[in-house]
Amino acid sequence: MNHHATLEIDPADDRAPLISERASLHEITETVARVVEWKPPRGWYLVFGISLALLSLFVVSLGRLLWEGVGIWGNNVPVAWAMPIVNFVFWVGIGHAGTLISAILFLFRQRWRTSINRAAEAMTLFAVMCALVFPAVHTGRPWLGYWLLPVPNQMGLWPQFRSPLIWDVFAVSIYGAVSAIFWYLGLIPDLATMRDRATSRLRQWTYGLLALGWRSSQRHWVHYESAYLLIAGLATPLVLSVHSVVSFDFAVSQLPGWHSTILPPYFVAGAILSGMAMVITLMLICRVAFGLQHLITMVHFDRMARILLLTSLMVAYSYAVEMYTAWYSGNPYERFVLADRAFGHYAWAYLLMLLGNVLLPQAFWLRRARTSIPVLFFVSLFVNVGMWLERFVIVIVSLHRDFIPSIWRDYTPTLWDLSTLAGSFGLFFTMFCLFVRFVPMVAMSEVKSVAAPHRAGVTEARSPRPESSVLIELNTAEELVFAMRELRSAGRTDFDVHTPMPIHGLGELMGLKRSPVPWFALVFGLLGAAGGMLLQWWTTGVAYPLIVSGKPFFSWPSYVPVMFECGVFGGVIGAVIGFLTMTKLPRHHHPLFEAPNFERATDDGFFLSIASGESTQ
Amino acid sequence: MNESVILKRLLIMSFIMAGAAMLAIALAVGDRRQFSFSYLTAVLDVLTTALGCLFFVLLHFVTRSRWSVVVRRWAEQASVAIPVASALLLPLGFGLGALYPWADVSIVRSDPLLQHRQPVTNALSFGARTLADLLVWSALAWWFRRKSLQQDLDRDPRITRVLQAASAPALVLVGVTVTAAAFDWIMSLDRHWSSSIFGVYFFAGSVVSGLALLILMAIIVRPGDPFESFCGAAHRHDLGKLLFGFICFWAYIAFSQFLLIWYANIPEETEWYAIRMRGGWRLMTLILALGHFVVPFFFLLSREVKRRRATLAAAAFWILLMHYADLYWLIMPNLHRGGPRLQPVDALTLMGVAAIATAVVAHFLFSSPRVAAGDPAFAESFAHGV
Repeated sequence: MNHHATLEIDPADDRAPLISERASLHEITETVARVVEWKPPRGWYLVFGISLALLSLFVVSLGRLLWEGVGIWGNNVPVAWAMPIVNFVFWVGIGHAGTLISAILFLFRQRWRTSINRAAEAMTLFAVMCALVFPAVHTGRPWLGYWLLPVPNQMGLWPQFRSPLIWDVFAVSIYGAVSAIFWYLGLIPDLATMRDRATSRLRQWTYGLLALGWRSSQRHWVHYESAYLLIAGLATPLVLSVHSVVSFDFAVSQLPGWHSTILPPYFVAGAILSGMAMVITLMLICRVAFGLQHLITMVHFDRMARILLLTSLMVAYSYAVEMYTAWYSGNPYERFVLADRAFGHYAWAYLLMLLGNVLLPQAFWLRRARTSIPVLFFVSLFVNVGMWLERFVIVIVSLHRDFIPSIWRDYTPTLWDLSTLAGSFGLFFTMFCLFVRFVPMVAMSEVKSVAAPHRAGVTEARSPRPESSVLIELNTAEELVFAMRELRSAGRTDFDVHTPMPIHGLGELMGLKRSPVPWFALVFGLLGAAGGMLLQWWTTGVAYPLIVSGKPFFSWPSYVPVMFECGVFGGVIGAVIGFLTMTKLPRHHHPLFEAPNFERATDDGFFLSIASGESTQ
Repeated sequence: MNESVILKRLLIMSFIMAGAAMLAIALAVGDRRQFSFSYLTAVLDVLTTALGCLFFVLLHFVTRSRWSVVVRRWAEQASVAIPVASALLLPLGFGLGALYPWADVSIVRSDPLLQHRQPVTNALSFGARTLADLLVWSALAWWFRRKSLQQDLDRDPRITRVLQAASAPALVLVGVTVTAAAFDWIMSLDRHWSSSIFGVYFFAGSVVSGLALLILMAIIVRPGDPFESFCGAAHRHDLGKLLFGFICFWAYIAFSQFLLIWYANIPEETEWYAIRMRGGWRLMTLILALGHFVVPFFFLLSREVKRRRATLAAAAFWILLMHYADLYWLIMPNLHRGGPRLQPVDALTLMGVAAIATAVVAHFLFSSPRVAAGDPAFAESFAHGV
C-alpha cells in the first residue's frame, strides 16, 4: 500500500508531501531501524563480498607500491602528476554532495533533504577517506607524512605554508573532521532510538555509549538545534573552500590549462555535480534494496536531478569561459593546450567528458526524465564517468604536451594504476555497506519533524498514570502544548518535555532563553583563525624564514586559505563544546530512563516531566 | 485628477529634469574622456543594481520560494530601471574610442594582441552584443513584472507556474549575457588583461547591490503605509541572510581572482592588480576589502542587526555605496593610473543617472499595487515567521 501511495505523489507539486502520508512516527522508526536490526538481505552480502574483494585489491596495490615505489605507476615526466591526483580530485569531489545536502539545503530550509542527508553525509566521509589515501601515497614516502603537519621537530623544519599542497592538507583533513562531527551530531537522537529499541545487551551498550545519554529533552533540543544550524553554516563555506583549495593546486601555477581564474567556482560546481550523481546512484539502489520507497520518494530524486542539472550548467559555463578566455588572452601556449584537449591525442576523453557532464544531464529539463528511474540511473552513472575524465583531462592532458616538444610524451596507466583506482571503490563500498548495516541510514528524528506532527502517537489514548506524577505521557503534540500552557499559567517553569523530534515553539512555551552556543562558536572561530595566521607568520617569517618562489616571508595572501580553514574548525569545535557544556552531556545515567514507557520518547511518545530539579537540567 | 496625483507627477518630472540637468552640466564641465568614464561608472552602477533585483525575482521563482512573495514586488519594480539605464548607456556608443583601447585605431595598429582580438572586439560585434544583453534583461524584467501585475487582477495561479517554468531558462540567458557584458564593458577597458572569473565577479557585485536596494525599498516605506507591515522582522532576517551570503560570495570570488593572479605573477595579468595596489589606489583597494566584505560581514553576523529596521537599512545603504566604489575601482584606474581622482563629474553623473532611474521606478511604484497580493502564496508569505 505504501508503495502505491508514494507513486501517486506528483513531484511537480512542490507542496506534495515529502514522505508518504501514511507514515506515522512509529512507522518511520520501524522502517528505518528495521534495516539495522534485521538480518540484511542476501544482496547485501553479495555487494559486501565484492567490496571486500576490491578492498583487498586496494591493500595489495598499496602494499606493492610501498615495497616497490612509485615506479610501478605510469607517472613519468612530463606527466609527473597522473592518476593518483586524478583519483584524489575525483574522490574529494564525490565527497561534496554530502555536505551540500546536509548543510546548504538545511540553511535554505529545503525540507526534502531529510530522507537522504544521513546517507549522503556518510558517503562524504567515505569519499574523503578514499581521497586522503592518494596524496599520502603520492608523496612516495608516506611514513614521513607527518612532515606535512606543523609538528615541532629536531630539524627545525616547518611546513611550507606558501604551497597550495599544504593548504590542501589543512582543507581536506579539516573537511573530513568537520563532516564527521556534523554526521555524528545528527546521529545522536537516532542512536538514542537504537539504544531504546535494543534487544541485546551488546547493542544497548554500544548505542547507549554513543548516544551520550540523550533523553530527548526540550532543553537539549534547543542547544542541539543551535549547534546543528551553526555547524551547517560553517560547513557551507568550508565545502566551497575545499574544492577551491584543490583547484588552487593547479590554478596558482603558470601552467597553460591550469592557470585560469575561473577554476575555484568551476571545481566547486563540478564537485557538487559528481557528488550529486553518486548520491542518486546509491539512493536508487538503497531504497529498493532496503524497502525505503516511502521515505525516499520520487520527489527527492526530482529535486536532486534539478541540482544535478544546475551544476551541470555551471560546469558547462566554466568549460566555455575557460576556452574563450584562453583564446582572448592571446597566449599561444594557452591556446595550444586548450585546442589540444579538444582535438589532440586525448580528444576522446574530452568528448566523453562533455557527453557525461554537459550533454546527458540536459535530459533533466524534462520532469519525465527526473522521475524515471532508468534515466536517473544511466545519467548519474555517466556523470561520474564524465567527472573522472574531467580530472583526467585537466591533470594529464595539460601535462603531456610540455613547452618543449622534445619531451612530449603520451601517458599510459599501468595495471597498478588501474588496480589502485578499482581498489579505492572497494574501500568506499565496504564502508558504505558497513554503514547501512549498523547505522540508521535515514535521519529518523528529522524525517519525523517533516511528517505531520498531529499524526503522532495516534494508536490509542492513554491516560496519565497516577503513579508517575513526575512523568506524564501525552498522545499528541497538541495535548502537550495544552498541558504546557496550563503549567505556565499556574506559574510553573520547572518542567521539561521530551519529544522524539524537535518541535518549534516549545522552547518559548517553556520560557527558555536563546541558546548561547553561537557565542562559543564565534569566540573559538576567531581564536582558530587568529591562531592559524599566527602559526604561519611565525613558522615562515620568524622561525624558519626561507624565500620560496620569490614571495615575501610574510605572504599573507597565501596564508588566507589555512587561516580560513582553522577559523572554521575552531568555530565547529566551539559549537560542539557549547552544546556539550549547555546540555551537560555526555551523561552516564538519568532517573527518567527508569520510568516505564519512557523509551518511547525516542520513538513516538510525548512526555512531560515536572519538578524534581534534576530533570530540568 | 486629485491633488496628490498631480503632486506626484510634478515630483517625478522634476526629478527627471534635475537628472538631465546634472548630466548636461557634467558633459559641459568635464573633459570628454573623464565624462565618458564617469558616466559609464554611473550608468553601470544603476544598471547592475537593477539587474540584481531582476535576479532576485528569477531566484524567487526558480526556487519556488514562498516567504519572499511580499517583498518581490519591490524587486519587480526596481528592475524597470534596466530599460532606463539601457537607454542611457547607448549614447556611449558614439564615443567608444574615448573608453576602449581596442576602439582606438592608433593603439590597435601597434598592438598585436588587440589585433588578435579584433574578430570580437570591434564596434559592430560589441554593439550587437551590448544590444542583445540589454534587450534580454529589459524584456525579462518587463515580462516578469507584467505577468505579476496581471496576477494581481485575475489571481490566476497558473501565472505562478508559467513564471516558475520560465525562470530556469531565463537564468541561463542572464548567466550568458552578464558574462558578455562584464567582458565587453569593463574587462576590455584594460588593454591586455583577461580573467576567466571576471563575469562571475561582476555578477556577484550586481546581486549584492540589487539585494541592498531591495532591502532599502522594503524598509523605507512611509510610516503608516498599510503595506509597510507586510515586510516583517522574519522577512528582514531572511533578506539580511541573503545579503550576508552574497557578500561572502563576492568576497570569495574577489579573493580567488586576486590570489591566483598574485601567486602566479604573470606580468600581463599582475599589471591589473599592480596598478590597483600602488599609489593612491592602494587605499581604495583596502577600503573596498574592508568596506565591501570585512565590516558588513561582522556587522551582519548578528541576528538582531538583520531583524531591526534601522540597522539593516544602514547596512544596505552602505553596501550600495560600496558597489559604486567597486565599479569605480574596476573602471577608473584605466583613466587615472596614479590613484583615484574623485571629481564633481563623478558625483553629477551618478546623481543624474540615479535621479532619472528613481523617477521612472517611482512612477511605476505609484501607479501599481505595492505588493503581489494575487500570488497564491501571498497569505503564507505574509504569515512567514509569525
